[in-house]
Amino acid sequence: MIQFAIPAPPSELAAVALETAAALGASVAQFRLAAHDSRGVSIRDGEVENIGADTSIAMSVRVVHGGAWGFAATTDLSAIGASDVANRAVSMAKLSTLVAVDEVVLAAEPRHGKQSWTLPIEIDAFSKSDDEVIHFLQEWNSRVAASSIVSHIESNIAMGRDRTFYADLIGNEITQQRDRISAALTAIHVSDSGFEDMRTCAPPAGRGWEYLTGTGWDWNSEIDQIPEYLAEKVKSPSVTPGAMDLVIDPTNLWLTIHESIGHATELDRALGYEANYAGTSFATIDKLGVFKYGSPIMNVTGDRIADHGLSTVGFDDEGVSAQRWDLIKDGILVGYQTDRSIASKIDMDRSNGCAFADSALHSPIQRMPNVSLQPGTDSTTTADLIADVQSGIYIVGDKSWSIDMQRFNFQFTGQRFHEIKNGKIVGQLKDVAYQSKTPDFWGAMRRIGGAQTYLLGGALNCGKGQPGQVAPVSHGCPSALFTGINVLNTRDESGA
Amino acid sequence: MSQMNLPDAVEYALSLLGKDGGVVVGGNSASNNLRWANSALTTNGDAVDQTLAISAFVKLAGGVGTGMASGQVRNKNDVENLVAASKSAATSAGPAVDAMELVAGPLHDDFSDKPAELSVADITHVSNGLGEVLRQRSQEFFGFAEQSRDTTYVGTSAGTRMRYVENTSRFELCAKSLDRTRSAWSGQGGTSLRNVSVQVHSDEVLAKLEHQKNIINVEPGRHRVTLSPSAAADLMIYFLWSAAAREAAEGRNAFANPKGGTRIGEKLSDRRISLATDPSLAGMETFDHVVNLGSSALSSAFDTGMEIPRIQVITDGTLTALGSSRHAAKSAKLPFTPLTDNIEFKDQDGHGSLSELASRMNDGLLITCLWYIREVDPQNLLLTGLTRDGVYVVRDGQIAGAANNFRFNESPIEMLSRVTDAGDAFACLPREWADWFSRAKVAPVTITDFNLSSRSDAV
Repeated sequence: MIQFAIPAPPSELAAVALETAAALGASVAQFRLAAHDSRGVSIRDGEVENIGADTSIAMSVRVVHGGAWGFAATTDLSAIGASDVANRAVSMAKLSTLVAVDEVVLAAEPRHGKQSWTLPIEIDAFSKSDDEVIHFLQEWNSRVAASSIVSHIESNIAMGRDRTFYADLIGNEITQQRDRISAALTAIHVSDSGFEDMRTCAPPAGRGWEYLTGTGWDWNSEIDQIPEYLAEKVKSPSVTPGAMDLVIDPTNLWLTIHESIGHATELDRALGYEANYAGTSFATIDKLGVFKYGSPIMNVTGDRIADHGLSTVGFDDEGVSAQRWDLIKDGILVGYQTDRSIASKIDMDRSNGCAFADSALHSPIQRMPNVSLQPGTDSTTTADLIADVQSGIYIVGDKSWSIDMQRFNFQFTGQRFHEIKNGKIVGQLKDVAYQSKTPDFWGAMRRIGGAQTYLLGGALNCGKGQPGQVAPVSHGCPSALFTGINVLNTRDESGA
Repeated sequence: MSQMNLPDAVEYALSLLGKDGGVVVGGNSASNNLRWANSALTTNGDAVDQTLAISAFVKLAGGVGTGMASGQVRNKNDVENLVAASKSAATSAGPAVDAMELVAGPLHDDFSDKPAELSVADITHVSNGLGEVLRQRSQEFFGFAEQSRDTTYVGTSAGTRMRYVENTSRFELCAKSLDRTRSAWSGQGGTSLRNVSVQVHSDEVLAKLEHQKNIINVEPGRHRVTLSPSAAADLMIYFLWSAAAREAAEGRNAFANPKGGTRIGEKLSDRRISLATDPSLAGMETFDHVVNLGSSALSSAFDTGMEIPRIQVITDGTLTALGSSRHAAKSAKLPFTPLTDNIEFKDQDGHGSLSELASRMNDGLLITCLWYIREVDPQNLLLTGLTRDGVYVVRDGQIAGAANNFRFNESPIEMLSRVTDAGDAFACLPREWADWFSRAKVAPVTITDFNLSSRSDAV
């Protein structure tokens, strides 16, 4: 049973708000109440630097009135607050109609009625005491601190839980809960010739505490290897720039997918709705069904159903049930991500369920689902891909990222750059960045790993929209081999 | 109303924290916004958020622990729960490294006043002005306007009672040609949208679109550029965020001296460049005392109530300070230098407007906006990012046309040594960081050998 711990049940507040909006002439009214719990601990050089918890809860009403959206929100969770927020939402819609309205038409969605959905977890991370969380993280710290190569350590554990209630004028009442957890440890080496660092590569996940104890990620092994990886990086040579073959691990490739495919296939961007802020997309609708996005082995799906996915839900934030669909098939652009109003812009019969707001204080907008590159159908391993490279780099872990406002030109770095010579890893390199253009990069994908190399990566901090909103999102992918990618030396780039 | 009065909530929380004490911050944030795209209003919002946040101090064997808890408070029971959670966390945390005695900060007379309300007059001013602009059909308009009013109540167990009201406004207008091959942007930060003339911004972006009709292909490489105040602000804000005394003293940021200590005292530019934060900066006034609940490289809960003076990070081209908490300053054997939420970047020898500066450049590129700025290498603070919405080719002191966009790789520290000219400092809206940092008075600068690493075909 999902609980909100507020004086009035969400359904009562919703009834007041929806009746008020309807009485004021709203043709569409959507009520959302959302509670967000977060808790985190950070440890710096063995001492707790920050520990804290937050619960924020608010409610909002979004209406269509006179063909325009109107949105208002409050933390005053009373019947008076519900009535007031509905009134304010209608007022905002009326303000828009005085200027020039982008008329709202919603793609059809069946009524789902009363629904409840909870993301499955094994162990409730919020049930762990502060002492347990701190001691758990301290144990990681102490294992790494024993190494003489490590000058400083930073580490953290963060957990989050969303509890949401959605209701609308057609009789939907949807209650949902989902959890997420993340952790990271960074070891830093300082010497009179500078400093280097090495961070764990474990992604955040839609899981409970079990994630930190070995379900879904081998933390013990990774943490034990951090000093060794750092020591090797410290003594590694600086890369010689130029075009080269890259085997990219899922711990790095997820972020390239996020930036160059995830955002590029957002239909609102392609149509210009993010043009002032996040940008547009080169993947415009005239390219749908014909544009060669990448090599023929490239198959990418969008979904809101992946196990442990950070974007996984039962229903989106305007009552659309979760789905899975193709974005890129055999290298060709075949789909987009949509919410209901954006889907109607290109006459789609139905939204694929990507409406999301990061709190009840923000209006839902079209946000990214889990966007994943599908693995190959054979049993190709990462070692097979490395063995296929005469001279190149195996890149592991994400670090710096940047892409242009149409999702063409990007540049990424990583945690580790293992040099490959004659099909074998011979050591690490440093000062590496790879830079490419989206269709060129994906067109250069020559081989992909099989299902056993597949990993669900992701981020908690995907930004979009004005006012700015953040969203958690996952990206699954296998290891993959790319040929002839431009590698930069970041020291050369700095002019140092 | 179902919410507890914030000043009362702060006092009640402090009473529950007892003699070990702590810091309590109540925040009421009201905001209105409008967004438009394809020359029509799209989304909007009218939101009021109210929270209480507590940093509890608990005396332990060996020191003082701190822990935080925050959330909405409807009644005393909610406050009691937050205090209990923060004290429990503080007890578990163990002694805090940055523990210091709280100081008795100011007692503001208006501490018990209600939160400042936000009227719709500011947002209506913009919507009224937009109507005529959006009716122009020879191009498409996109943009965003937001007005917010934040009332912050700060109480500490050392007696500090502060109330701050911050008004923040933001206006952005982007125009694109109908075929979307040309794009221009104009932005304005400040305290009230009523200071915005939509027509002035419209005139500016339409003039920029005209300049873009002549496309001049420019190859990537190291170029002489003039950065607009917005573009320079985005780079210098990152400089400021990275300028932490603690990490420098530990040898682990770009401000560390490899031979030990920090780079304070090092000449970064031969020009009389200065970089400062100043709570009294005219038109950009902000917190003049520390308000903080947690610990970071730049601040500490234990410093809450300490006065924030003007801090000169760079003076006449020389690095003169790095941001710090009291503890970080003591550890690094440096003066306490709390930074606040604005930036002033200027060159004492700079003069004139952006267009005058670009004209003095004679030949080069005028860059109006930067975007998607991320750190590539912390050792030298190498940043990457893109130019956006207008790179103009200046020849013989005149704008000759527009170039394609570029990815840049540059360090805001190292580039200061290549500043050759500057204009007057102006209030501007930093395009990249405006979500977090919008109070900026920054001079446009001309820089030689700016590293435009590769071409971007994005518009």
